[in-house]
Amino acid sequence: MVTDETLFAWLDGELHGDEAAKVSAEIAADPALAAKAEQHRAMQQRLKSVFDTVSNAPVPERLSALRPEPEVIDLAQARGARSRRWSRGFPQWTAIAATLAVGILVGTMVPHRGGAPVTVAGGKVYAAGALDRGLTTQLASAPSGHVRIGLTFRDQAGEICRTFTAPAMSGLGCRDGDRWQLRGMFAAPEGQAGSYRMAAGMDPNLAAMVGSEMAGEPLDAAGEKATRDKGWR
Amino acid sequence: MTVPSSFDKDLAALLPRLRRFAHALSHSPADADDLTQATAERALRSKAQWQPGTSLDSWACRIMRNLWIDTVRSRSRRERVEAPAEEAERIGEDTAMDAKLELARMMAAMSRLPDEQREVVALILVEGFGYRETADMLGVPIGTVSSRLVRGRVALLQMVGE
Repeated sequence: MVTDETLFAWLDGELHGDEAAKVSAEIAADPALAAKAEQHRAMQQRLKSVFDTVSNAPVPERLSALRPEPEVIDLAQARGARSRRWSRGFPQWTAIAATLAVGILVGTMVPHRGGAPVTVAGGKVYAAGALDRGLTTQLASAPSGHVRIGLTFRDQAGEICRTFTAPAMSGLGCRDGDRWQLRGMFAAPEGQAGSYRMAAGMDPNLAAMVGSEMAGEPLDAAGEKATRDKGWR
Repeated sequence: MTVPSSFDKDLAALLPRLRRFAHALSHSPADADDLTQATAERALRSKAQWQPGTSLDSWACRIMRNLWIDTVRSRSRRERVEAPAEEAERIGEDTAMDAKLELARMMAAMSRLPDEQREVVALILVEGFGYRETADMLGVPIGTVSSRLVRGRVALLQMVGE
């Protein structure tokens, strides 16, 4: 006879060793008990997934005052301080921003010629369509089209990275083989959707990301062009 | 004691989870966000009391639970049984309608559990804390946690089960 208390403790992974094995055996031998366990397991999963919609939703604006203030970023300083300041907190924010921006990006850029601007492969997000072409062909000194290039630089591993601005968002793409892996995408603040943010300066999150990834100095116009002509190697 | 500067960031990163816990405890989304706000403010003010190396999650959840209990006790019974379904509309326009209704239904069912069962269900089944950790957090014996969980779970299944 398995009591409710024991059954639930088993379901919750609170039993170990012989105790757990004994309950497993009883459940296997008793269809009614198995059905009950299944019913409760399903209920718990449903409960969890319903409340997970809350934790998966963006935190409402009125609570966001509690977020750390975005700092004004000086690239050199951010780079110097990266391990201290950004190494722990940053990836989460990046992931959140990237999730948000993929939606915006797809929403704003799909109507343009060239198809969807991002593609996902092996858990990584890559530039596609107009964004891929922009990153591959555009020079910061000669802007045209929907994608504008900001900085071009080499990261710590020696790969070429480029910051870009597109309608409603900005981001960082780095060379991964012959593709541009998007390491960060950041939505433009409300009211700036549809405009380019070059004049307003770089998104502070993007600037921090650049600061932590960049090795040395950004390429100048000649370096950018020479690297493009070599296929971004 | 010096608290690492990551405290604020770690706390901010916990906000979505704290909101989830708040929704499991509260009877309306508006109350849940008030509770989340109050918890974050209290946690920031009390950061000197947090022991680095211990779990920030359970520390913050304990603060939330204590604030919730204070609120619950100061409220009249009548206020606590207002229809939560309508309030759920405030969750956010981007949440699908089905998900909103499902959340409202689940919050209503949770609200009907006695407080001491609801907090145990929220901590263990929603937040995934272990029995021992929950017992420590609530300051009750582990057997009490376990028996409250049985009652809460059985009642919940009757309310929301097919």
